[in-house]
Amino acid sequence: MLTCKEFDDFMVDYLEGGLPVWQKFMYWLHVKMCRECANFIRQYRRVIALGQQAFDSPDSAVPDSVPEELIKAALAHLKSS
Amino acid sequence: MVFEPIAVDDAEAPKYIGVSDPQDVGATETELLECLRAGEERCFEILVRHLGPLVLATAKRYLRSEADTADCFQDTFLAIFEGINKFEQRSSLRTWVRGITINQCLMRIRKQKRRQEESIEHLLPVFDENGNRMDMSGMIRPSALGASIDTTHVKRIVREKINELPDDYRLVLLLRDIDGYTTKETAAILRIRINAVKTRLHRARSALKSLLTPVLAYGE
Repeated sequence: MLTCKEFDDFMVDYLEGGLPVWQKFMYWLHVKMCRECANFIRQYRRVIALGQQAFDSPDSAVPDSVPEELIKAALAHLKSS
Repeated sequence: MVFEPIAVDDAEAPKYIGVSDPQDVGATETELLECLRAGEERCFEILVRHLGPLVLATAKRYLRSEADTADCFQDTFLAIFEGINKFEQRSSLRTWVRGITINQCLMRIRKQKRRQEESIEHLLPVFDENGNRMDMSGMIRPSALGASIDTTHVKRIVREKINELPDDYRLVLLLRDIDGYTTKETAAILRIRINAVKTRLHRARSALKSLLTPVLAYGE
């Protein structure tokens, strides 16, 4: 059986689906047997989701409009270049 | 369940304000591109006004200071106009523009003198000599927080906590989890090895999990 440390070391590969079947099974088995790691990975997944929700989409926190002075500065920068 | 990163391409087809009239909605990406490639000045303004919010939001995500964000905004549009003839439309214009913005941000971050950043070791999981997990943060229950948190507040906290991470970790997290680049793409963008991306990503997520313990406790 995997130790918690080994479980931790391959978490990214596990979540990306990059582990071979037998290793994935060992992971699954560890989650079933270890309450701490089961809690950890549940919260870890939630952190990923919270991060994505914090920006909603890659465009999130998009201001409705860009300050006019910023637009004018960008256009002036373009003209001068 | 396997985590699937969000798609880089926008779900909705981009809509552009009219090429001839800034109030008119409906010009296609191709029409706008043709106009830009023809060097028509009014189209530059249309593009800046239309994609300005995307560029600004992306720059704000990666850069910490308002002055850097404003400078990056200008440099990004300059890079867009210099590179518009090389854009092959293999992705949407928005995706291409976001990529250029991120590149501009990273160039700016690399140029800056690296600031002294705090270690995140104390935020990472702890194991005993037999490899057993010792941190008990996963066992915290909702009562740990008490007061209610609205969604907007949670989002703000999460953005603040991501910003607290050292750049090495913050950038990998933003590229991988927020902007949806693959591990391989993230490695290429940051010019680091794939294994380094995986290690930094795991440490970034683990540290963020520790920083967000109160939020996680509330939502359990």
